Amino acid sequence: MFIDTLIESIDFSYRYNEAPEAALKGITLEVKKGDFVAIVGANGAGKSTLCSALAGLIPNYFIGYTEGVIKIDGKKTTECGVGELSQTVGLVFQNPFNQLSYTADTVSEELAFGLGNRGLPKEIMLEKINNVAETVQINDLLDRNPLELSGGQVQRVALAAAIILEPKVLVLDECTTQLDPIGSEQIMKTVKRLNQNGMTIIMVDHDMEKVAGLANRVIVLQDGKLVLNDSPENVFSNPKIVEYGIAAPDYYELTKDYALNSVILTEEQAIKKLEEVLADEN
Amino acid sequence: MKTNNKIKCVVKELNPLTKLVLVLSLGIGCMIYPSPFLGYAILIVTLIVSWFMGFGKKISLLILGFGGPVTGMLLFIQGLYSPKNSTVIADLGFAQVGLEGTLYALKISSTLLVFLCTFYIFMQTTKNSETVAALTHSGLNMKIGYLILASLNVVPQMQRKVKTIQEAQESRGVEVTGKFYQRIKAFLPLIGPVVLSSLTDAQERGMTLETRGFSIKGVKPTSFIEVKHSMSDQILRIISGLFIVFCILERFWK
Amino acid sequence: MKIEVKELTHQYPSGDIALSGINTVFEGIEPIAIIGQNGAGKTTFVKHLNGLLRPTCGEILIDGESIKNHTTAFWSRKIGYVFQNPDNQLFLESVKKEFEFGPKQQGVSKEEINERLKVVADLVGLTEKLSIHPFDLNTTEKKFCTIGSILMMNPEMIILDEPTCGQDLEGNRRLTRIITALKENNQLCITITHDMKFVVKNFDQIIVMSEGKILKKATKEVIFSSPEILQASSVSPPPITRVGQALALERSVFSQQDFHQEFENKKQAIRIFR
Repeated sequence: MFIDTLIESIDFSYRYNEAPEAALKGITLEVKKGDFVAIVGANGAGKSTLCSALAGLIPNYFIGYTEGVIKIDGKKTTECGVGELSQTVGLVFQNPFNQLSYTADTVSEELAFGLGNRGLPKEIMLEKINNVAETVQINDLLDRNPLELSGGQVQRVALAAAIILEPKVLVLDECTTQLDPIGSEQIMKTVKRLNQNGMTIIMVDHDMEKVAGLANRVIVLQDGKLVLNDSPENVFSNPKIVEYGIAAPDYYELTKDYALNSVILTEEQAIKKLEEVLADEN
Repeated sequence: MKTNNKIKCVVKELNPLTKLVLVLSLGIGCMIYPSPFLGYAILIVTLIVSWFMGFGKKISLLILGFGGPVTGMLLFIQGLYSPKNSTVIADLGFAQVGLEGTLYALKISSTLLVFLCTFYIFMQTTKNSETVAALTHSGLNMKIGYLILASLNVVPQMQRKVKTIQEAQESRGVEVTGKFYQRIKAFLPLIGPVVLSSLTDAQERGMTLETRGFSIKGVKPTSFIEVKHSMSDQILRIISGLFIVFCILERFWK
Repeated sequence: MKIEVKELTHQYPSGDIALSGINTVFEGIEPIAIIGQNGAGKTTFVKHLNGLLRPTCGEILIDGESIKNHTTAFWSRKIGYVFQNPDNQLFLESVKKEFEFGPKQQGVSKEEINERLKVVADLVGLTEKLSIHPFDLNTTEKKFCTIGSILMMNPEMIILDEPTCGQDLEGNRRLTRIITALKENNQLCITITHDMKFVVKNFDQIIVMSEGKILKKATKEVIFSSPEILQASSVSPPPITRVGQALALERSVFSQQDFHQEFENKKQAIRIFR
């Protein structure tokens, strides 16, 4: 294990209680500091299960059968409680309203909930709340009741509540699925900024255009197995991804006949390349 | 308007437990005190205070809407048929109105109204999270405090969910309005998704609590909400205690 | 079937106006997508079409009859509505029972139900999972279970509320097959979605909503070529279309095939001009 490895999975398998088949089979991977890892695959491939395992909820919260090891910041998940692991890994998942504590009358109180569980004094809570509100741009929501906010607003609060605990890794499990494009963009802008500032991100998403533009590594799961673990360029140019239930971003398909020496995955790159092709005609 | 805001602020600033003690002592005091007129006097004061705080209309509606029918019903039952009746104050022909029963009816209704109106003011001036913070500060187990608070706060969300489920099942042909038999038939299609989806929600909410460190051991949790305890709280609690003693003395020494 | 919407206005108890003077007609079998940002009134609007919400002003006529004359449960025979979250509909112990539930409410015969079951289960891809408890299905399968349960009622019109939410590639392909099958079966499909890739693949007719009004009802070519409409509704065209527009191709493109054709045409035009 390298010094900057934050999460390490060694031949990890997991079967839910009473499930006939394992949801994860022999997963071996490493997540390093500063990585932006995208986990993709068909529904039922084990993406959410892997997120729960990487956040330490498996085996500490979900009852089941495990084999192999996951280490989070050097600590085995079987030897620590979720509370302790939560200091390293934050989790944001799909349903915004299930990520509220239901103890808060204001967004400030909601953000303070996790800090209170860690015994922080009020002055420090206030400072952290203001900082994170600035980062996620929810300053105007601090005095609002979280239960009266829209889904997009609540998801931003959930993101803030996760990062206020200053985890080293943030796991996002389809966190923009229930949002409209504007809400999704707001979340992704913040996540991109967090990654640029050094936070390690693990993200599950079905939007390959989004994934390709942000991730430096893509992990493909199929039936609980890790089938690809490589750069976005290598993954999306691999013809086998169709078998794995995913498609390359449109930008790749539009430009692959013209970009013979490179793999184009973003809109800017695609437009630039195609303009060059048109310019060459001149 | 400035006086209104000032009074509202003063009440809001009080410790939630002080307000709860006031609610209980006023209500219990009215119950103990022999005459119903204390209750009505407290109600008048409550009404005046609530007008200054901006709840006057709501309190009036509570008094009329709840108090009216309940008082009427109690007067009918107790005034006409109470076994304590010995002094007749009116003869209606089919029955006689007794003084003791009438006073008893008025005492019960004034006590209920005092509880209702003071509790309403308490709810309007105190956030649920403040109440639970005050209770945990006074020794209530944090997890029980969480249970109370989360149960209160989840109610509006559950109501929205039930409404959505009702709409979803109506769209599948389930009649939710109409005859009693139809409503009974609709019960399972409505309650089924509520229960099943609540299990999923509970699991995800549990995940949220865990990832926010709810079950961290060896750390004393702190609260964002400051629980204040001022001289006003001290004075009011003493006054509440003295009020109960006064009511007891009036009841048992006269 | 014909649904006429006349001056539809809806005001919430809080006083907010959710819909303002909407006039439109739904008829035929051409699938329609309704797009617009959250808060535009899309769901509020479609909930009026099966009577879940009643107009504050204006009226809705279904084949000439006012929607106010009957309950939503009555109209469910003609208009099916698939909610976004399958957990709000599923409650029986097997997929088969979920499928049978709706037609049983309608009094459909057992033989007819069994016939429909085979077709619908195949269409939604749950033939092998009929005996499974719906809550043991994965996200995609649950979604298709609710779609199947509404298809079993054989409505003349079906409303799909965000069917693409959380769908993977195969799920979206299956949705395409369902929308095609509905058209072939003379059933009108109205879909609310944020997924513009899905919209351009499956719908020629689009309704754009913003701030409680219909901004435009037109073809995808018209909608996605109109910067004013896109800006007013905060809708962005799908990636292929955006790239095509950035390259100033002759017409708006919506598929890779179209794109390559137009791109080659443009290259050809440049060569000829040169």
